[in-house]
Amino acid sequence: MSDPHLDSDVLVALQDVMEDEYPVLLDTFLADSEERLRVLREAQQASDPQAIRLAAHSFKGSCSNMGATLLAGLCRQLEEAGRCEELSVAPALLEQIEREFAIVRILFKSERQRYRH
Amino acid sequence: MSARLSILIAEDSAADRMLLSTIVSRQGHRVLTVANGLEALALFEQERPQLVLMDALMPIMDGFEAARRIKLLAGEALVPIIFLTSLTEGEALVRCLEAGGDDFLAKPYNRVILEAKINAMDRLRRLQETVLQQRDLIARNNAFLLDEQRAAKAVFDKVAHAGCLDAPNVRYLQSPYALFNGDLLLAAFQPSGDMHVLLGDFTGHGLPAAIGAMPLAEAFYGMTAKGHSLREVLREVNAKLKRILPMGMFCCATLLNISFQRKVVEVWAGGLPDGYLLRGDGREHTPLVSRHLPLGVRDARSFNDALEVYPLEMGDRVLLLSDGVLEGSNAEGELFGEQRLLEVLAANRDDQALFDEIQAALIRFRGTQQDDISLVEIGVVESSSLGRPPVPQGGSVENAPLDWSATFEYRGATLRRHNPVPQVLQLLLEVPGLRLQAGALFSVLTELYANALEHGVLGLDSAMKADARGFADYYRLRTERLAELVEGYVRFDLRICPEPGGGRLTLLVDDSGPGFDGQAVMARQAQPERFSGRGLALVRQLSERCTWPAGGRGVSVEFSWRLEA
Amino acid sequence: MAITSQPSADGQELTIVIQGRFDFGAHQEFRDAYERINQRPKRYVVDLKGTTYLDSSALGMLLLLRDHAGGDHAQIRLEHCNPDVRKILAISNFEQLFKIA
Repeated sequence: MSDPHLDSDVLVALQDVMEDEYPVLLDTFLADSEERLRVLREAQQASDPQAIRLAAHSFKGSCSNMGATLLAGLCRQLEEAGRCEELSVAPALLEQIEREFAIVRILFKSERQRYRH
Repeated sequence: MSARLSILIAEDSAADRMLLSTIVSRQGHRVLTVANGLEALALFEQERPQLVLMDALMPIMDGFEAARRIKLLAGEALVPIIFLTSLTEGEALVRCLEAGGDDFLAKPYNRVILEAKINAMDRLRRLQETVLQQRDLIARNNAFLLDEQRAAKAVFDKVAHAGCLDAPNVRYLQSPYALFNGDLLLAAFQPSGDMHVLLGDFTGHGLPAAIGAMPLAEAFYGMTAKGHSLREVLREVNAKLKRILPMGMFCCATLLNISFQRKVVEVWAGGLPDGYLLRGDGREHTPLVSRHLPLGVRDARSFNDALEVYPLEMGDRVLLLSDGVLEGSNAEGELFGEQRLLEVLAANRDDQALFDEIQAALIRFRGTQQDDISLVEIGVVESSSLGRPPVPQGGSVENAPLDWSATFEYRGATLRRHNPVPQVLQLLLEVPGLRLQAGALFSVLTELYANALEHGVLGLDSAMKADARGFADYYRLRTERLAELVEGYVRFDLRICPEPGGGRLTLLVDDSGPGFDGQAVMARQAQPERFSGRGLALVRQLSERCTWPAGGRGVSVEFSWRLEA
Repeated sequence: MAITSQPSADGQELTIVIQGRFDFGAHQEFRDAYERINQRPKRYVVDLKGTTYLDSSALGMLLLLRDHAGGDHAQIRLEHCNPDVRKILAISNFEQLFKIA
């Protein structure tokens, strides 16, 4: 229930709203997140705090909607770092985000498996 | 059950967009989705959705800019914009509001809150719609009303300006919609060349105040043109207004009869602020004070038609004003008042500038234009400088009787109330040859009747009128004696005789009085500075022959005419 | 503006007190003050002590009261008129219809 990676209550609610579209939502989130991560990496390499802030902000929003609580929290920290132009912590945070996303990705994939049919 | 709305969702995150659009469409709305501000703008123009859910931070064009532009496009209609944001800093939320946002929705989305917010915004949207509809309705109705007023005023102006407000010695000023403030200004010549003037102010505003003006104007003009005296006009209009106006409505009015030949003004004032007799020679102004209840209050039985009479000199002016002039108030609620008006009158040097000076003083006092004032001023000039009044219409020439005589005798009580002159004149104007002399005929009839009544029947001595005080006493005495009159008569003897190519009227007016010496009267009247007795000189001047038959109990005059072949 | 009315102890006299501006806005309230009472008083008093302004529609309302109270037989006293109010009543010669004190 209170899995720190993926909030199962949120998943139940999403399923309830999306009905048959639920697997599509999961696919969409994963594809969208890959794209966000790519943008984040580029922004970090360019040491562009504003770009880091915006990308982290958007990612945070969708993570929170999808119940990826821990990931949303990490994004919030990175967004804050961008806002304060405190880029020294950015590489470490980004690495944590990549790791957490890898976990979330596996969890969503298995969730996705259950709806194959 | 909430209404089905069309809702635009602008959100760059694909998963969020999908989730939100699913939630919103499951709630029964039609959903349009876009991924950035620019697309949002384009789709808004095309589809005109009723509500927008807008992500704050989006690529290409952010939500703030898109919101600003959508609000501009929406114009007066309320298109609520709910910002979708996980922004937490207060500053960012302020930016949402400044850009025209109406509410926020934080991520993660909560379906129940989202639905409640959409419904709340829809209520606001409908409220605004209703307000706009009602505003437009009011504006349309108001335009309609103004249109009606314009039409009513055009009709009314035709009636009101049937008179002689355009005479060279009349100056007047009325606010454009004074009529709808209940103000009424009428002026007309009697057949004699005397001028009747009425300035009135009905209680109330708008149509109810204007509506009594029409019958009043008709009675005023109709009776004045036929030669009825001011008193008769007064009694008639008062009775008419009493009859037609609802209880509690009335007309404050001042009526004047200005005789340019006899150089007097008769005044009846009921309910308006003081008018003024402005002296041309620097003497102090005489206030014309309200002595009566307004018109339409008293019934015919208790109505008081007593007139005040003042002698006039050349160059004098009579000024009347509505209470709008005195009741203009400034920001402190203080009224313009009589004292300030008197100061303007005292400071005035140029007759022509007086109205401008009064208006300027009002504007100085109030800071803005006053929109409900009526002012009228009548100058005392030589009667010859004024155009003759139009000839009354009569019957056809072919059927007119041309050889007849008649005698009318008016006695006792009839003389108290009734002025026989219009009746006699009406009869004489059946004779086509006399119609062209209607004015002279009316003046002569009026003078001879006044002479017979005042000196013959009432026994008044015109020598009393030698000075201003005696003048006032004379008219007071006239009123008293007339009210007590029981016996006595005035007789008109009319004789119409055909003559080769025309005809002749011989008119004898005599009375029950002891008789008088016409020659002596004429001699006395040779002194021009006297107030009295311009009457008989006038009769001599206007008629072809004027004689005093033996016994001195009457005056005989003759008028003749030639008919065009 | 506020209008109150108070019958005397014996019900013979009704006092109507007018506060503030006495103009068209007071129309209904003024009528209610003398129409919505049970007794039929013999005399009426209109107390204008607190009246700051009076216009021609107020004069009309006074005529309506006079009509209600019996027309020419009405007994109506207008009390505590300030100089401005008195002046307006004087211009209209309402002292011919009302006792003015």
